[in-house]
Amino acid sequence: MTKYAIRRVLALLPVFLVVTGIVFLLIHLVPGDPIDNLVRAGSDPEQRAAIARAYGLDRSLVEQYLTWMGHLAQGDLGTAIVQRRPVADLIAENIGYSLALGGSALAFSAIVGVLAGVVAASFQDRPLDRMLMGAALIGSTVPSFWLGLLMILLFAVELGWVPVSGARHWTSVILPAATVGLAGMALVARVTRIAMVQTARADFVTLLHANGVSRFAIQSRHLLRHALVPVLTLLSLRIGLIVGGSVTVEYVFARPGLGSLLIRAINQRDYPVIQGCLLMLAVAVMLGTLIGDLLQAAMDPRQREEQRS
Amino acid sequence: MYTSFRPLVWAALALGLVSTNAPADAADATFVLAANQNGTPVLDPIRASLVNLADKLIYDCLVQQAEDQSFHPHLATSWTVTPDGMEWTFELKPGVTFHDGEPFDAETIRWWVPKFAGTENAYLVEAIDRVEVVGPLTVRFVMKHPDANLLYNLSSGFMGIPAPKAYDAAGAEYGTKVAVGTGPYRLERFATGVETVLKRNPAYKWASALSKNAGPAPIDTLTLREIGDPSTAFLEMRTGGVDLVVDVPPATVPRYQTLANAKMQTMPGFGIFYMPINTTVEPFTDVAVRRAVALSIDRREIVDNLYAGKGKAATTFLLASLPEAKVDPKLELVHDPKTAASLLDGAGWKPGPDGIRVKDGKPLVVTLWTQSDTEFKRMTEVIQAQLKSVGIRAEISVFDTSAIRAEYKKGKQQLAVRSYGWNNADILDWFFSGERIGYPNISMWKDDKAEALRLKALKGSRTLDERIANFRAYHEYVLEQVPFAPIYEPVQTIAYNADRLTLPATIRGPQFSAPTVLDITVK
Amino acid sequence: MTLSGLFRSTTAPRSKRRIGPTIAGLILVGFAVAALLCPWVAPWPYDQQALALAYRAPSPAHWFGTDEFGRDVFSRVLYGARTSLTVALVSISTSCLLGMVIGALCGYVGGRFDRWTMAAIDLTWCFPEILLALLLVAILGPGSTSTVLAIAIAYLAQFTRLTRSQIRALKRETFVEASLSFGAGPAHILLCRLLPNAIAPVIVVAMLTTGDAILLEATLGFFGMGAQPPTPSWGGMMSSGSELLFDAPWVILWPGAAIAVSVVSINVFGDGVLDALDVKKRERVH
Repeated sequence: MTKYAIRRVLALLPVFLVVTGIVFLLIHLVPGDPIDNLVRAGSDPEQRAAIARAYGLDRSLVEQYLTWMGHLAQGDLGTAIVQRRPVADLIAENIGYSLALGGSALAFSAIVGVLAGVVAASFQDRPLDRMLMGAALIGSTVPSFWLGLLMILLFAVELGWVPVSGARHWTSVILPAATVGLAGMALVARVTRIAMVQTARADFVTLLHANGVSRFAIQSRHLLRHALVPVLTLLSLRIGLIVGGSVTVEYVFARPGLGSLLIRAINQRDYPVIQGCLLMLAVAVMLGTLIGDLLQAAMDPRQREEQRS
Repeated sequence: MYTSFRPLVWAALALGLVSTNAPADAADATFVLAANQNGTPVLDPIRASLVNLADKLIYDCLVQQAEDQSFHPHLATSWTVTPDGMEWTFELKPGVTFHDGEPFDAETIRWWVPKFAGTENAYLVEAIDRVEVVGPLTVRFVMKHPDANLLYNLSSGFMGIPAPKAYDAAGAEYGTKVAVGTGPYRLERFATGVETVLKRNPAYKWASALSKNAGPAPIDTLTLREIGDPSTAFLEMRTGGVDLVVDVPPATVPRYQTLANAKMQTMPGFGIFYMPINTTVEPFTDVAVRRAVALSIDRREIVDNLYAGKGKAATTFLLASLPEAKVDPKLELVHDPKTAASLLDGAGWKPGPDGIRVKDGKPLVVTLWTQSDTEFKRMTEVIQAQLKSVGIRAEISVFDTSAIRAEYKKGKQQLAVRSYGWNNADILDWFFSGERIGYPNISMWKDDKAEALRLKALKGSRTLDERIANFRAYHEYVLEQVPFAPIYEPVQTIAYNADRLTLPATIRGPQFSAPTVLDITVK
Repeated sequence: MTLSGLFRSTTAPRSKRRIGPTIAGLILVGFAVAALLCPWVAPWPYDQQALALAYRAPSPAHWFGTDEFGRDVFSRVLYGARTSLTVALVSISTSCLLGMVIGALCGYVGGRFDRWTMAAIDLTWCFPEILLALLLVAILGPGSTSTVLAIAIAYLAQFTRLTRSQIRALKRETFVEASLSFGAGPAHILLCRLLPNAIAPVIVVAMLTTGDAILLEATLGFFGMGAQPPTPSWGGMMSSGSELLFDAPWVILWPGAAIAVSVVSINVFGDGVLDALDVKKRERVH
């Protein structure tokens, strides 16, 4: 198992290299440049050229890429052109907010989703099942920017339980987390339900029934444990998406975070920041996928064999 | 905190007054910054490309501009200029100190002006050759050439004066962790894109004459929040989370009117919405077609329906309050569909079967570019419909703000909807200079007479009056040649919680800034 | 258990046929017909402005009310079906087809080719769909083609991975080995033996993803980068200004309902198709 894990981590290195290349190329393909966001319209061409020189923007893409990689190898993410601060500082300032939101959203969709899935599975094909699954589905069809506003209206304005926006108090994470979590919950509930139902058909369950183990014990102790494997895989895949994908929610709740930092940087074409953030996200997703694979491998030895062949 | 407030909240709800997170201290307040000031990366006026309200509260300027664009003493108590415009002498206010206790004097100015060299703001002091210290509180600017715009530059937010010692000591950290000025507030905490927390400067007693209160500001801790979504800002106001919203978008003004405790005050806007017309691309090489386009925009309809009657129909390129905007009324570009139609007829574009005009078998179809913000998209859609009514089909393309600049540089645009925020006539030079074809001269306009008039206004004006006359002449020629169509001059609406704050009767200065904040009292 | 396994049916084959998928299918057909016929069905032109009549509540003249330009929301929802459904269908079928081809090749060929291709495909998985789509739209320029391409690329990894894992799992099964021993070529095995058996879950996931694509288009609209005005799309209509929630909720309610109904219908219909395919699956295509 350890060997397998090491091999998987090593296999990520070339992927990481390719990611840096793609990230770099992608953002330089986008029309526009950071200089226009730095100077006002009235500045003269020499001034623009001087700025381009100062940030190395006048050199070829390959040179720029190699310079960036050189700094990256030393753990230096560079300095933001428009925001004028070390990229590492900007990310450090924002990542806490993202992790708080992403983590609680993930927890929310995991707990609520698994609960809904288990309940639905035990009432398979009965009205409660249909209702739960239907509600989860409809919940996931509301775009998150509207879901967020509706949540604010209900819980912050009408009920006054939590602050409307911002990130000053821990309670301010509740609504955004629920908004992001609700969108992901439908899939978790669905997967849990199917996994529960499928596992229930397995031979060992019949055996347990035959041995007179109570229905509840089977459900909670045996079924759920087996059914949780795919749910964990699914959740591990969502880690990266949750860290960077909640940008609309961050906007509606006026919350800082990696998503907002990234969107602002994309709009301003602040290359070092975009590169740094996308790289962070890519690493998060790669690690998430890795954790998912490792979990799967730990549960299912065949997977390890397969990778070796 | 919120749990313990729960019973209170329910009581408040019962009374219809919701206030969940009122600041603990009565003298504290939270403002929502204007959306166009969001994302200011550093609070360092020398290096900044964007200054916001926080800059204006941390730093003072030598000169303060009023809402009628006139200039008033601030850290400079008086100034004189030689008739040839080559020497300016400023007397500085005595007893002024920075937040770190360092004195403000003539040496500060001698340190400060050269700091602009090599920054994007270098143009502000470009005309100054050197700064001479005449006495402890007297400085003289010896000029390379006359600059009739010097007072304007000195009053702009980019020329707020930072503390020399703190500035040099902090190096690259200056403006994010440290920001020291002489202003009514000192920096407590700054997080780009989130909020800036300011603390009152208790020693402040050198406010400009624009504010009644010359002493320390009444609000103790002032939090400036950046909230992107106007609906979120409204809901914060409704629940008492914020006390003042600096710039309420026109579309949300009716919402605020439903709040019992919210009051609103309007002040002149700070820019123009306009439509550049690419003069190098058919059919707009013909000045008659350009004029027809400019005359077919129904500005009244836009003001009344998109802006609930607030703001003005723009008829020139400049803010109506600027003296250079007082042009020959015949040159103003107003809504006149009849003349527009006859101009198009005269240019050979005759009405076609489906209502779209045709010339030599080709329909009058043009591109109309816009930015992805809601306000721009809405205005562009209305203009599209208005152009259609005179027989021009405009096809909209939406770009983000950076991409659209890159596209402008390629010069393929025909029409575009955009805006600027600036209260000086030199904006004409920015957007119509023959040296900046593509972007920012989106109209791609290069005309010998225009260039001569522009250079005369820019470089050949020794005094303010001369500058006004020269820029007015240039402005009139621009209007004659119609490389753009003016659309709308917005007003700024400030909403505040009248239960907590009292605002002065008029908002002083060209924008909502320090002179007004000093006069805001807390109940 | 692989992810693809999760999309297998949950209904025991003996359970009687459900009515839900039929209704869902009918609703989808209805939407499609409305999208096709909207020039004749819509009571107003979708771009006819009447600024004085903006923000009117639903009435007999305007069944769904009017929007911020006084345009008829009902007509715009009908025309919006055209944009939204087309964008979603075209992008997902592109994504699905591409993903199946790449995934099948990777799964069948294996080895270094598989590893490198999958590494490249997984890159698109690294970035949240909305960020990827925003970047791609910025690169490709405004227009519906770039929206379609951006959405297609955003979901490519999912289809590729799914097909690949299906093919890999099937490769080991006895019926493939049997074909090999009868001397069948690799193309024959891939096209006639493996793909038909692998296709069902991919199609179902494609159907479910169509809902996500509609939502992604809406989120693009939130950033102002969706359909070019005045062309309506459901997402674009919903995201044309958050103050609409207070001033004229019907402007966002109806397109929102259209999105919800179509996403739910697609899901229910997808499940139904899955059930039907699952029965067939028992009698494998040999």
